[in-house]
Amino acid sequence: MSLQLKAGLLITGTIVILGLLAPWIAPHPWDTISMRTRFLAPNATYWLGTDEFGRDVLSRLLMGTRLSLAMGVSATLVSLAIGVPIGLAAGYFRGRIDEILMRAADVLMAVPPIMLGLLVLAVTPPALWKTALAVGFVYVPPIARVARAVTLSLANEEFIQAAKARAESTPYILFREILPNAWPPLIVEASLRVTYAILLGSALSFLGLGAQPPSSDWGLMISEARSFIDRAPWIALAPGFAMCALVIGINLLGDGARERLDPRLKARIGKA
Amino acid sequence: MLKIEGLTVRYRTPGGVVEALTDISLEAPKGKTLAIVGESGSGKSTVALAAMGLLPAEAGRPEGRILFDGADVLAMDDAQKRALRGARIGLVFQDPFSVLNPSLRIGDQVGEGLVHHRGYTREKAFARAVELLDEVGILKPEAIARAYPHELSGGMRQRALIAGAIASEPDLLILDEPTTALDVTIEAQILDLLETIRARRGLTMVFISHNLGLVRRVADRVAVLYAGQVVEEGAAEAVLHRSMHPYAKGLLAAIPRLGRKQLRLAAIPGRLPDLRKPPAGCRFEPRCPFAGPESCAPQVLRTVGDRQVRCARAEIVKDMAWPATAIDPVAAENAAPRSDEPVVVAANLSKRFVLSQGLVFEGWRPRLRAVTTTAVDDISLDVAAGEVVGLVGESGSGKTTLGRTILRLAEPNAGEIRIAGEVITGKPQKALEGMRRTAQIVFQNPDSSLNPRKTIGELIARPIVRFGLAPKGEVAAKVRALLDLVRLPAHYADRYAHQMSGGEKQRVGIARALATEPRFIVCDEPVSALDVSVQAAIVNLLADLRDRLGVAYLFISHDISVVAHLADRIAVMNRGKIVEIGKAAEIMNNPQHPYTIRLLSAVPTVDGPRHPRAAEPQP
Repeated sequence: MSLQLKAGLLITGTIVILGLLAPWIAPHPWDTISMRTRFLAPNATYWLGTDEFGRDVLSRLLMGTRLSLAMGVSATLVSLAIGVPIGLAAGYFRGRIDEILMRAADVLMAVPPIMLGLLVLAVTPPALWKTALAVGFVYVPPIARVARAVTLSLANEEFIQAAKARAESTPYILFREILPNAWPPLIVEASLRVTYAILLGSALSFLGLGAQPPSSDWGLMISEARSFIDRAPWIALAPGFAMCALVIGINLLGDGARERLDPRLKARIGKA
Repeated sequence: MLKIEGLTVRYRTPGGVVEALTDISLEAPKGKTLAIVGESGSGKSTVALAAMGLLPAEAGRPEGRILFDGADVLAMDDAQKRALRGARIGLVFQDPFSVLNPSLRIGDQVGEGLVHHRGYTREKAFARAVELLDEVGILKPEAIARAYPHELSGGMRQRALIAGAIASEPDLLILDEPTTALDVTIEAQILDLLETIRARRGLTMVFISHNLGLVRRVADRVAVLYAGQVVEEGAAEAVLHRSMHPYAKGLLAAIPRLGRKQLRLAAIPGRLPDLRKPPAGCRFEPRCPFAGPESCAPQVLRTVGDRQVRCARAEIVKDMAWPATAIDPVAAENAAPRSDEPVVVAANLSKRFVLSQGLVFEGWRPRLRAVTTTAVDDISLDVAAGEVVGLVGESGSGKTTLGRTILRLAEPNAGEIRIAGEVITGKPQKALEGMRRTAQIVFQNPDSSLNPRKTIGELIARPIVRFGLAPKGEVAAKVRALLDLVRLPAHYADRYAHQMSGGEKQRVGIARALATEPRFIVCDEPVSALDVSVQAAIVNLLADLRDRLGVAYLFISHDISVVAHLADRIAVMNRGKIVEIGKAAEIMNNPQHPYTIRLLSAVPTVDGPRHPRAAEPQP
């Protein structure tokens, strides 16, 4: 296992476990307001200090992990579910279908992600699942592009010809012959998208269009802490650093995974 | 000129340390051609890289010495090596399609060495490049020097590469499989060219190849490599016609000979030893039919008569012939009766490809005009049940397209195809279920024809499940039976493609094609990617299966000797047309069409004469 993969697993794994165990390991209630303990700097009782309502920053951070992760993962699943079939079809059929699908993807890519998110959430009452859906939709084109590129190169392989020679249906060829070989690059791309989705989701929360108070989301935490950044910088810094660590961890994980997932790469190592 | 002494190269890999070369000693005397032959994994290319000082970083520092004109290449620093490479040793690689930089003009690439090593100006180097291109027999050298690589054919590119290699007037030319990517007629031209240059310039050549026929034509001395060791070394004629080492014998017995029809080719069983932990005794012992008690001890290279042999039993084995392969007794017994009833009939088949579509102005009106090429041009062909029809032709002749069009993997533009009596043209793909069962295909590239994500069991089971050929509980048994048919052990069903050798993968490809119990199989260059000894085993397997199951083949290959060995009839294809078709023996012994004659005369054979020597260089 490469150092990259190990580091990625360690960082991401720790954050996921902390997030899952948050309700049990959080040292203080995450949503109880206590005016006597406002703006306490980090100390022995409150390790990361307290915010403007006297809530423990560490506890809120831990609870926020869940929302941020759920946001990133569900948005990525949405973009995979839409993007992969589009990419497979475009790469396999080529010609007109390819042009139509990919030009549509280009149009979507031309819209700034945050604008699209704003558009969806501004006209309907904000809800977390809508944010995830909107963010997922925004990241369809890059996923579709990767799926298309892999399909283009795989479509000429002889095992696809062999499948045609036994009259396999097109869905079988796309999803059973091509897709398993397309996973490695897709997983790498998807892991990158998880981090983007977390950042975008946090940005939308920061603008008040994602998670709603009093729930704790990293973006929302930073947004709320903004007004007190001169008095109590720890309230904003903690979620900022957490987000940073998660993004780095997932990126390392994705890059490391690519090397292990490709059977051809493995074959090369095995043969040498 | 070049002297290699006790060279040992080890590669560090994630799987352990691989000893690619063990104690190699070779000598290429001035003005002579030394050929290094061996199969893939024998280490022959590593010798070339080491001699050029181009070993990759994983190789570390090799042991031994490589003396070039008395100076040790391995002891040189990078600057000295660079000077040596550019100025005194020229290298020609295997693949003329990837070696040239696509965005530089040919003339600049040919003259590049002169700029770096001889201090020429760009203009002067370009002018010299034009002269060199002229020397390697390129017509209109000025125009070609200004062309980019994609504008040249494979043979022209290889000529340009040779021009580049001889530009700075090296003393030694190392050629690593220089003609493997080329057609036989082009190959013959390149060999002529090399011989002319060698004689004119008094060059020393090291010629690396797996093709024994080719080696016979060019080499003065031959070294046979097996698993990183020299197993036999001597004068070309002696080694190739009266080989002593069992491996050399096996290799020579495994190649199909023109004009000598055998029922089965001799094959070398087994596979290369794992070079991470090479066997202590003779490395060829597990595959050797002549092995004796002495074979368990490490073998040393010793002088026997006029050459060096690494075999303790050389004197005993010397005059023994490699054992012939018997015909599979089951196949012989159950031989399916042949009939003249055709299983495939193709009539007036045509297939065109659109190369590009462009707007052309007719007067003021823009019109879409397509540039097309006719890959299959009005071809009629039939294959009888249990018959093998060989299809030969050079690259671009349309043989692969013909094979795929017959199976409707490519849609024909005109013509009619009947398979097992059923007309299959003019029907939608969905209506071809029956035909897809009757007719199957085996591909050229074993790496690309098996889905790397599926186990061998899944791959072979799929056609059975797809066509419902066995109830669910019996699929596994059927897969085992098919594996047995292609002589693979049953536990291979759990393996993935990358865990197998090339020959084993090709067996799986054949088993998959046989799974639907077809009556006709298109074999599209099934042995071209394989080593000689493996090729023999696969060709034998195909012959056994034909006898046992009565399958008919359309056997496509550019290698005429393989086709001649297996086929009942041969069709020769050139530029989309069949120029000659007839009984195999007739085509081979009495070809009529000029193209067939040219093709046959270009094939280098081991039995053939050495290349006529141009005037010997002055000492």
